[in-house]
This record gives sequence, C-alpha cells and structure tokens, in this order.
Amino acid sequence: MTIPFTHILFLAILLFAMGAACAMTRKNLFMILIGVEVMLNAAGIAFVAAAMRWQDMNGQVMALFVMTVAAAEIAVALALIVCIRRRTRSTNANLCSLLKG
Amino acid sequence: MTVLNIIFYIAAAIVISATGLAITRQSTVHAVCYLVISFMGTAVLFYLLGAPLLAALEVIIYAGGIMVLFLFVVMMVKDQQSPVDRPSRIKKWLPAIILTGISAVMAGLLVFADPGNRLRPPAVMGTPQEFGLILFQEYWFPVEIVSLLLLAALIGALYLGRREAREEDTR
Amino acid sequence: MKPVLFLLLSFPLLGALILALIGRRLSRRTVETIACTAVVAAFVLALTAFLLSGQKVQSLTLAQWFSAGSFQVDMDIYYDPLAAMMALMVTFVSSLVHIYSVAYMHREGGYVRYFCFLNLFVFAMLVIVTAGNLVFLYLGWETVGLCSYALIGFWYEKPEAANAGAKAFVVTRLGDVAFGIAIALCWINLGHLSVSGINDSAASLGSQTAGIIGFLLLLAAIGKSAQLPLAVWLPDAMAGPTPVSALIHAATMVTAGVYLLMRFFPVIQGSPLVMALIACVGVITICFGALAALAQKDIKRILAYSTISQVGYMFLAVGAGDLAGSLFHLISHAFFKSLLFLAAGCVIHALHEEQDIFRMGGLRQKMPQLFWLFLAGTAALGAFPLTSGFFSKDRILLTVFLHPQAIYKVLWAIAAMAAIITPIYAFRLFFVVFFGQPHADRSQAPAPVSHPSVPNLMTWVLWPLAVLSLFAGFLNIPVNWAGNEWLAHYLAMVPGAAPELHASPEMESTIQLGSALITIVMVIFAWIFYGARIQPSECDDETFQMKLHSLFLNGFYLDRFYQTRIITPYRKMAVFLWHKVDAGWIDAGLDQIARSFLTLAERLRLWTTGRVSQYVSMMVTGFTLILCSLTVAWWYLQI
Repeated sequence: MTIPFTHILFLAILLFAMGAACAMTRKNLFMILIGVEVMLNAAGIAFVAAAMRWQDMNGQVMALFVMTVAAAEIAVALALIVCIRRRTRSTNANLCSLLKG
Repeated sequence: MTVLNIIFYIAAAIVISATGLAITRQSTVHAVCYLVISFMGTAVLFYLLGAPLLAALEVIIYAGGIMVLFLFVVMMVKDQQSPVDRPSRIKKWLPAIILTGISAVMAGLLVFADPGNRLRPPAVMGTPQEFGLILFQEYWFPVEIVSLLLLAALIGALYLGRREAREEDTR
Repeated sequence: MKPVLFLLLSFPLLGALILALIGRRLSRRTVETIACTAVVAAFVLALTAFLLSGQKVQSLTLAQWFSAGSFQVDMDIYYDPLAAMMALMVTFVSSLVHIYSVAYMHREGGYVRYFCFLNLFVFAMLVIVTAGNLVFLYLGWETVGLCSYALIGFWYEKPEAANAGAKAFVVTRLGDVAFGIAIALCWINLGHLSVSGINDSAASLGSQTAGIIGFLLLLAAIGKSAQLPLAVWLPDAMAGPTPVSALIHAATMVTAGVYLLMRFFPVIQGSPLVMALIACVGVITICFGALAALAQKDIKRILAYSTISQVGYMFLAVGAGDLAGSLFHLISHAFFKSLLFLAAGCVIHALHEEQDIFRMGGLRQKMPQLFWLFLAGTAALGAFPLTSGFFSKDRILLTVFLHPQAIYKVLWAIAAMAAIITPIYAFRLFFVVFFGQPHADRSQAPAPVSHPSVPNLMTWVLWPLAVLSLFAGFLNIPVNWAGNEWLAHYLAMVPGAAPELHASPEMESTIQLGSALITIVMVIFAWIFYGARIQPSECDDETFQMKLHSLFLNGFYLDRFYQTRIITPYRKMAVFLWHKVDAGWIDAGLDQIARSFLTLAERLRLWTTGRVSQYVSMMVTGFTLILCSLTVAWWYLQI
C-alpha cells in the first residue's frame, strides 16, 4: 500500500497553512478558533504519518494527546468567547483591543 | 497503485477541499459543518495510516464532541451572521495567502529534500491492544496529567460560563 | 646654616597655614600678631643668614618633592650673595608693610584672608629668591601670582578690583607660559634643572639655544614685572589695598622678573641679541612709564606708572650686563617706592579715600611729618643728588654708556632723556599734593578735610624707609667718591657678575654732575609749573596738547588696543563656539538623537494594535522567515 512519506507531510503542511491563513484573516472569534483547530488537526496527521514511517507507536500516542489537549482548549476558549460576547455584544475580534499600545 | 492508495488520495482531496471551504464561509455554522466533513476525511486518513483507534477517536472526540460543542455555543450566542466578515475579498486574504504560500513552499522544499523521506513506509496496522498497552504502560503518567488538565478545563469553562445574577443575559 | 634657611622659609608659610586653618577663630589681635611675627622673624633669620654666610654659596635640600621616572625634583635652596641681598630686602620691606597694614586695615573686614595671603606671598617670594631648581622657582613664581590676584582683588565685591585681579593674573600668565617652555627647553638641552647646574653649563648651550631660552625668560620677566607689552595690568592693580601695592607692586613681585634674569645671567649672556633686546625693552618701558605718569591724576596710578618706568631701568641694567647696578637700583627702588606708596596710603587714609591729587593740596601744614617722609621718597625717585636713587640710576646710565656696542649709546641717550622726565612727574606729584589749595572748580568736590589724621603706627613705620631711601647709596658708592663699591664686590661671586666698571673717574664725575644739574633744573621747573598754581587742564578744545595729554593719561591706549584687537575677537569666538558649536551642534545633535529615539518608539507603538489577527499574522510572518532562512541555509549546504 505504501504512500510516500513526503506526500503525507505535504498534506499536513497544506492543512497547517490553511489553518494559519484562517486564523490570520478572519475577524470572527469563532473562525479564529476553527483555524486553530485545523492547525491542530494537521499536526495530528503529521504525527500519525511519522509513527507509520518510523514504525513507532509513540507518534500515535502523541496524536491522541494532541487531540485531548485540543478538546480541553476548545472548551475553555468557547467559554471565553461567551464571556466576551456578554461584555461587548459582538464577536468581532478587533473590538478586543484593550492591549493596544 | 493499490486501492488503498487511491482511497488515500481521494480522502486527502476531500480533507483539503472541505477545509478550504470551511475557512472561507461567512456563516459560522456552515463552516463548522464543513469542518466536520474534513475531520471525517481525516479519520479515514488515520485508518489508512495504521491507526484505527485514533480514527475512531477522531470521529468521536473531534468531530462528534468538539464540533458539536462548537455548534452549541454558536447557536447559544446567536452568532448566525457575521456581517463584518467578508471573506470573499481577495485583498483581505492576500497577505495570508502570500505568507502561508511561501512557508508552505519552503517547508515543502525541506520535506522533499531529504532522501530518507522518499520511502514508502510499510502498511502495518497498529492494533488497539498495542495502543492501549503503550498508553497505559509507558504513558500512564501523561494520561493522568491530561485527565487533570481536562478537569481544569472543565472547571474553567464552568466558571467562565456561569451566569451572574446582575449581568445581562444574552438575548 | 641649614636650620636658619629652613626656618626662614617656614615661618611665613606657617603663619599663612595657621591663619588659613584656624584664623577665623582667633581674635583680631592674635591674627595680626601671628602674621607680623612670622615676617619679622623671617627678617631676623634673613639677617642672620646674611651675616653667617659671608660670600660663600650655600646649597642644601629642604625636602623631597616628587619624582616621575628619572625626573626628580626636590625643594632645594641655592643661597648665594644675590639671594642673600634679595631675601634681606624682601623680608625687611614685608615686615614694615605688615606692621603698616595692621593700622591701615584696622576698620576692614576679611583681615584673616588679607594677612594669610600676605604671609603666603612673603613665603612665595622667598622661594623665588632662594630656589635651587627651576621647578621650585616656578612654584614660587605661580604662588606670587596667586597671592597677587587674591590681594589685588581683596575687595572682590567691587567689580574693578575683581577685574583687576583677574587681569593681573591672566597677563602674567602669558609670561608664565613662556617660563614653562623655557624650563622644558632647559631640561631637554641640559638634562637638569638646578640653578647652579644651569649656570655652570650655560656655556655649553649654543648661542641660538641660549638665545631662545633667554628670550623665553625675558617674556616671563616682562609678564611678571609689567614691562611693555604686558604692562597693562599694573595700573589697574592699584584697585587693591595700598600696602599690597607697596609690597607687591613696588618692592617684590615686579622685581621677581628682574631677579629671574639676574639669576640666569650666564644663560642670557650667551646671546648678545637677547641682551640687546632686554635693554631695548627696558628703555621703551622707561619712556612709556615716565610719559604716562606725567599725565595721571590718581596718586596711586602715578606711582604705578613710575614703577613700570623704574623697573625698566633695572631691565636696562641687566641688558647692559651689569648685575650689581641692576640689583642696586632694585634695592633702592624698593625702599623709596614702598615709602612713597605707604605714604600715599597715609594721605588717602587721612583724606577719607580721596585719590585724585587735584583734590588734595596744602597738606604741608596739615600733615608735616608726612611732608618730610614724602619729600624723602620723591627726592630719591627723582634722583636728587646724594640720594640712593641718584647713585643707582647714575650707575646704570654709566654702565649703558660704557657698553661697547653702538646701539647702547642710542639707548643711553633715550634713557637719559627719560631721566629728565622722572623728576618732573615725581615733583609734580609732590607739589600738587602738599602745596597750594585744592582746586575749587569742581562743584561736586567734597569739602576738604580740615584735620586729616593718620594713626601713628602708619607714619612711624615709614621713618626707617625714609632714612634708607636717602642713604642707601652707601651700598655702592662709586669709585670717584672714594667709595668701595661694596655691593658690586659682594656680588662678585655670583655667576655672570662683573664687578669692575672700566670707567675713568673723570667720566664718572662728569656724568654724575650732568645728571645732578639736570635733576635740580627739573625740580625747579616742576615747582614753577605745579607748585605755584594748579594746572588741571580743563579746556575742552582739541589742541595737540590735549591729545598728547589724553594719550599719556590713557597709558598710550594700550588697554584699548588689547581690548579691540585681542579680547573682543576672543570673546566673539568664545560666544560663537558656545552658541553655535556647543549648544547648536553638540547639544542639539544629542537632543536630536534622543528625540529621534522617542519618535521611533512612538511609531513603533502604533504596531501594537491589540488585535489578535494582527498578532497571529506577525507570528506567521516570523515563522515564514525562519523557514525561508532554513531553506536557504540547506540550499547553500547542498551547493
């Protein structure tokens, strides 16, 4: 069956780039979060591919952990978005600019 | 070119296009739905890469848990429309495309440069038994830590999401 | 002998130190006693040293000073007959001035400062006189400059006094620079800086080197002794107290320049050009001083210009090669000039700080004692026959006349003509102050003091000076008077001195008779002009006489010349450097750099928008850059 390792890695790179582009560009808080999710997913793909290339289970374990931590992070992030929505009545990321110099 | 290879490339195409669609949607709910498709495709990929348990967990946790949570919160917050977001503007996407395009090309060059990367790893399935053994024998401590992490996230989300009596409710 | 010399220097220094450190806590009487005792003790010690030493030369080291590598400087003393005579004169006049100051400064504040600096001055002058090496001499040289500055500017709240002190210091500093260069040249050419060593090896210097060193020493002497072109500080220095003028600007500091030339006579003798130059400087200054003194109205300024002129005579004597004659005139001048200054101080004090001689008059009846004292000084100044001034000036004129080079005859003629003017201005001063009535034209003139009184101490001190100024001629009675020329023989051991004047007694007598006659004639002339009627020359029309008068009065406009040609451009340059360069470029440049940093920070601040998307963009940009650099590095490693 085998697929060249480079192909899989390139797939992961593409996905990561797309997730980064989404996080950079979108102003909606939810969309930024979706971008982060895509990036994490791409990392997971890379890990699993590496596990198969080196025939090592550690990669898969790492992918599981990535998944778990992503879950925890999403939960907290969504709760934060709810808070922001309550305070500012919108989910525009540009409005959260209290750290403006 | 076996069937599995073909399936791999098809799944990869689905993942990429679904992700691409997801990140360019104006409506959040549509984006989440496309992302669910993307994660399904990823699960197929995981299975093909010899991680069946992870494939199942991807579907259950990622697509079924996280994305559903996303939908809940989006609907709760009633953020159907995001009028300020006009993703169809090319001008808005141009910097991102350039930057990520360049980094993708560079990373791709690096990846393709290494001759060791050209190998085709053998197709071996990592059974759930092996996975469980490794997880709970070598990685028992990180598992405990991750569970603590999940607990912390739970409490944090609970606290952040609680409703104050005097605060305005979301209409 | 060593303890005597050591104490001679230490007493005034100790006096100054004690007064400087704890003088404020002592009573006025104690301060005055300490100061006067220090100097009188120094006089006694100088007398002892003079008697003990005979004509031998004493060299001894007082203390080690400093050494830098192979350059070693000690505080050592070279005590030869020249130094002995000078030390005697300095301490004698200083003691009298100190005692006089007790009464003169009776009502002044700041007496601790005054006596401290006066003591320090005596110490410094003794250092100059007895120094055994050039660096120690330079120490004394600078210290007398410092004390002069402090004492001239004693009443520092008065702007003219403060300016005069600064002016004196700065002008003499010009000479001191030349002195420093001369010291360096001596070190380079001779390898050592001791007085005896330099004088012994002076012959080994080429004529050119000796000429350069001599010229530099001449510049130093010009500065300190207020000769042309650096004579401008002395008339303004009269803003200080009168005892200070008597001590510093009549007897001691202005003679330090002459002493320097006398001390290094063998070096100067090595270059006849420099000798002629010294003589010329002396002659020009004699004329300058005499003519300017003729037109002055302030009693102290007349005496100041007179000092300039008389020190010119000493320079002339050195230039003609006569050490004894120069020293003789130096000593007699010290006596009669300090007498005149102190007596003028009595007059000023009695008339309540009046210094314009045309507002004094008729003091003959009111202050008879002072009349006789002043007459003694004036007679000596005008070289009236048989006074000390007569003998000393005649010896100088004789020496110049006898000099083999032709130019000296010209110089003699000019000096002789100036010698005609000297009794005129001297007796002008005397007759105007003591005879006649104060001029009644000026409506704002205060009523003349009816009973001028002077503390007894001030007049009592002047009698020894009067006696000496009249009879100090005995120091060096010339051969045609059957004298033994004691001073000339006493100085025979001093390097460079030639005791014998090769003159026939008939020539000497002729010259002396001639100058005596001229003096008496000039006295009568001055009596006619100034004694019988007052002549203040109040007319306003621009006659040649008026212009000449104002030329003399303003000291040949030398001050104004320096002001316009040197001081004003220097000030303009200083202001330009201050405003344009320092404040404009340097400060503004630094300010600009600082402001540019601020602006840069301000612009950078706009980068932190607080927006997440931008921050993420920046992160991705960084990530892209890192990847690019990794790729490029890998590419080059491959290639």
